[in-house]
Amino acid sequence: MKNLLTVLILFIASLNAVAQDILLEAESFDNPGGWVVDPQFVEQMGSPYLNAHGMGKPVKNASTSVEFKKSGTYHIWVRTMNWVPGEWEAPGRFQLKVGETVLDTVLGTRSGWGWQYAGEAKINKKQATHIELQDLTGFNGRCDAIYFSTKKDAPPSSTKKLAAWRQEITAQPNAPEEVKTYDLVVVGGGLAGCAAAIAGAEQGLKVALIHDRPVLGGNASEEIRVHTLGIYGNFERILKKIDTEHYPNGSADAKLDQEKRDKNVKSYDNIDLFLNWRAYDALSEENSVKYVDARQTFTGERKRFTAPYFVDSTGDGWIGFWAGAEFSYGRESVDTYGEHWEEHGELWSPKEADNAVMGSSVLWGSKDTDSPQSFPEVPWAMPVSKDYSEVNGEWQWEFSRNDLSQIDDAEEIRDHMLRAIYGSFSSAKKDEVNENRKLEWVSYLVGKRESRRLVGDHIFTFNNAKEGTEFPDGVVIETRAVDVHYQTVLEDENNPDFISEALFYRAPQYYIPYRSLYSKNIKNLFMAGRNFSCSHAGLGGPRVMLTTGQMGAAVGYAASLCKKYEVMPREIYTGYLEEYLNLIEDQKYEKIPTSKK
Amino acid sequence: MRRIALGFLLFVTHFCDAQFGSPIAFSDSQEKTVLEASPEFFILDWKPNTSLHISETPLEIITDSVGAQKVNLFRDNTEAPILYSSNIITPVCADGDCKFMHITLYWTLLGDYAGFDRSVKEPLTKHDHDEFLFSDYWKLHDLLKDDNSILKRRAIDELVTKPKPSKIEGVDALSGATVKEVKESVVSGALYSCYVAWHLVHGKIKEQIKAHTVQQQDEAMLVQMLNNDHTNYQMYALENLDQNQYKVNFSRVSELFKSGIPLVRSFIIKNLASSFSQSPTTMQPFWDALPYIDINTRSLLLQHIDFASDATVTHISTQLSVLTKNQLLKYLEHLASKKVISTEVLKNLEHFSASNKEKNAYLVTEFLEDNS
Ligand SMILES: Cc1cc2nc3c(=O)[nH]c(=O)nc-3n(C[C@H](O)[C@H](O)[C@H](O)COP(=O)(O)OP(=O)(O)OC[C@H]3O[C@@H](n4cnc5c(N)ncnc54)[C@H](O)[C@@H]3O)c2cc1C
Repeated sequence: MKNLLTVLILFIASLNAVAQDILLEAESFDNPGGWVVDPQFVEQMGSPYLNAHGMGKPVKNASTSVEFKKSGTYHIWVRTMNWVPGEWEAPGRFQLKVGETVLDTVLGTRSGWGWQYAGEAKINKKQATHIELQDLTGFNGRCDAIYFSTKKDAPPSSTKKLAAWRQEITAQPNAPEEVKTYDLVVVGGGLAGCAAAIAGAEQGLKVALIHDRPVLGGNASEEIRVHTLGIYGNFERILKKIDTEHYPNGSADAKLDQEKRDKNVKSYDNIDLFLNWRAYDALSEENSVKYVDARQTFTGERKRFTAPYFVDSTGDGWIGFWAGAEFSYGRESVDTYGEHWEEHGELWSPKEADNAVMGSSVLWGSKDTDSPQSFPEVPWAMPVSKDYSEVNGEWQWEFSRNDLSQIDDAEEIRDHMLRAIYGSFSSAKKDEVNENRKLEWVSYLVGKRESRRLVGDHIFTFNNAKEGTEFPDGVVIETRAVDVHYQTVLEDENNPDFISEALFYRAPQYYIPYRSLYSKNIKNLFMAGRNFSCSHAGLGGPRVMLTTGQMGAAVGYAASLCKKYEVMPREIYTGYLEEYLNLIEDQKYEKIPTSKK
Repeated sequence: MRRIALGFLLFVTHFCDAQFGSPIAFSDSQEKTVLEASPEFFILDWKPNTSLHISETPLEIITDSVGAQKVNLFRDNTEAPILYSSNIITPVCADGDCKFMHITLYWTLLGDYAGFDRSVKEPLTKHDHDEFLFSDYWKLHDLLKDDNSILKRRAIDELVTKPKPSKIEGVDALSGATVKEVKESVVSGALYSCYVAWHLVHGKIKEQIKAHTVQQQDEAMLVQMLNNDHTNYQMYALENLDQNQYKVNFSRVSELFKSGIPLVRSFIIKNLASSFSQSPTTMQPFWDALPYIDINTRSLLLQHIDFASDATVTHISTQLSVLTKNQLLKYLEHLASKKVISTEVLKNLEHFSASNKEKNAYLVTEFLEDNS
């Protein structure tokens, strides 16, 4: 860490003979203290950042030390955002300590991501300068970076200009220098990605699994805590290595399954696991993905991953998006695929297409203790929670609105849910029965249900589920009811806008064809997980994680045949379907995988 | 739907293995052939001096041990169909103990729940044989109003199981949503009666009633529905009126755009999308509604900003507080596409940008900087 930082400083200093500039990325702090590294919104706001997620209790200071090349007086800016501007004190306030001095300016008070001027400080190059972030509220103060300059020129705030400025100031070459080559690169380590990596590895592929979190499982991880639903289909053996028990969503039991999942995936020698690595770009040439570039979320280190085949299991279809794969978002019109359901009409499938989708959630819970527990006033949360009062949140705590994209506005969506949670809990605390209650856990990760859906040779629809359409390549099997959510505020404006309801359709056993698991126009791209090829209503059934896990496994096996015959995913359907189906049948009973240690 | 109704029958049969005692008594409203007052628990408007008279339909509900029970249609004095009704007697069994439940149920013309009358002679009872209190009937009414109740998709035994205690946190873990949701929605001590009543109301009869109405549907009926306060009527009318009928009823349609629920509003605006470019002046009431409508509908409205009059665009510059971040960006994008921005708009933008109470003031500040 230190070495990298030093290099960075030297670079900057040599670039600019007059001014001395240092850009300090907060996520690279030596010691984040109680702050968490939040890389969820990199594509929108430009970088992972430190987030003081203390559920109302100020978190421990984050600290690092910096060696300056020149002594002098430096102007200091902090890239931050007041996440709820309004007629109240900003919820996420913090201060900066440079050396022995705490700068007076209270940070986290500017609207929209940008640079807030923190003040100036005298720096002595003779000793490393100690820097600290001091959280004042415990309510999600954010610090992306700190910029020191001997000149008083604020860096650009707009995200576009900022990216160029960052690249220039850190003198980063365009491409990552290190290139790694695999048989299969899987991006996104939710249930789908884990299953794809395991299936591929069991068939002898050298697999890279790139995942932006420290633990595997995506929504099923202990960080989000959703239990896995659906059936195992053809892949019970693999899915049992990564699934969860049926505890209530949000339960701390998720920790037990976390250990199991991480251990199992790590037990494969030929899976190179890149935890805390987030893919940020992919390039395609002649309709084939050539490489995926990824960055370590703490250190900023970058690597390029090349392979003949890629799996997009990011949930958001990022790889497909960057590579130019066809995708859809929102609800198709009822006539597009004839997905009408009389009983629920517009709520189920609209007459005109729109960009409504199922929403995202932030799960949370509180617990009773044996002594009184205080909780601060949260005036900034009340406009969202209004008079709602609650002590726990389940799946219905969900937010979606047609002016918000589940991808581009994910931070606003997460923040809206945080306001809903803190406001509702604060109201509940006013009731004396909750005097001893304290917040036990609030996720800071937004759990998504629906975003981009990459388009494959087949688009799986509600009708395929409803009719139980049989396909020659129906490799994924499911019996779970189809359910599509909507926000209850659509029916009554007095309802809170963060609560949803599910519409359930009891379908017979249904099948997802292999042709929904590879891209229609990007030849070497598989997809598995909620970003597989389906319509909005089609996603209603198979978005649950054993189904998405089945997709992953199905794709991993297909990739192994692709490699064996040096063909593209589509050709498995057109030329090797029988062998593929046999392979799926055979693996069910494989007890000791040959590729395993 | 069909599956659920079937499930209900099976369930009733299963639970009715136990023996019944005395023969069946009939509900008080059995003989009612004229309705001159609103049912006691009712969701529709009842206009004063309404008198409805009964007519027969081929529809019936079959309950176990009792058999077919007629579903009638009440009409007004112009013979227009208004309300469906049935006097129901049905067994409710729990743990081998069976009782008859007497209740008169009402449905709207579209087969939605409309209300019920209780039987004075045979009040509903709970598991411990206590009679329903008035508040219990209200709770039942609330439950029946919810066509997507959790009772819909669960077998009765699934509704009474407790979630497993957490291994890590012990019994104080998050409680299972299901059990809590059920508890909140049913009359305490009367889960079985509630379950049976809900499945009667929302069983396959729903579809049959709707189909029966559709056979008799005409323009007058649709217009009546459009003018009704009941959301499903409004929605059904909006879905079934043709373009010309939209024009004829435009004032009601634009009124609904302001007063309807978000779902109704969104439907209207999507259905009239082409009118924004084709007859901009007619659509003025829609722009006037901008500050009063919900966020989703407002987003749909703002999609047509390029066809709004200059006066409207200027007017919106005084209403920036109601816009969400992305709506504001959409509006600013529209301004940026214009050759000139009027001084009045600029003044309003500056005023907004200077406010420290406005969450999105900074966006306008940035816009003014970029466009100065
Ligand atoms: C509150 C809630 C309740 C739900 N209830 C259930 C339930 O009870 N049971 C059930 O089975 N399902 C449930 N679902 C649905 C299910 O969890 C989702 O559909 C799930 O996302 C499907 O899994 P996945 O593997 O496709 O995606 P995810 O679980 O989202 O995994 C994708 C992973 O990829 C990572 N990633 C994304 N982009 C990148 C990148 N660029 N580089 C590296 N990594 C990246 C993400 O961090 C994420 O962890 C629920 C969802 C929510 C939000």
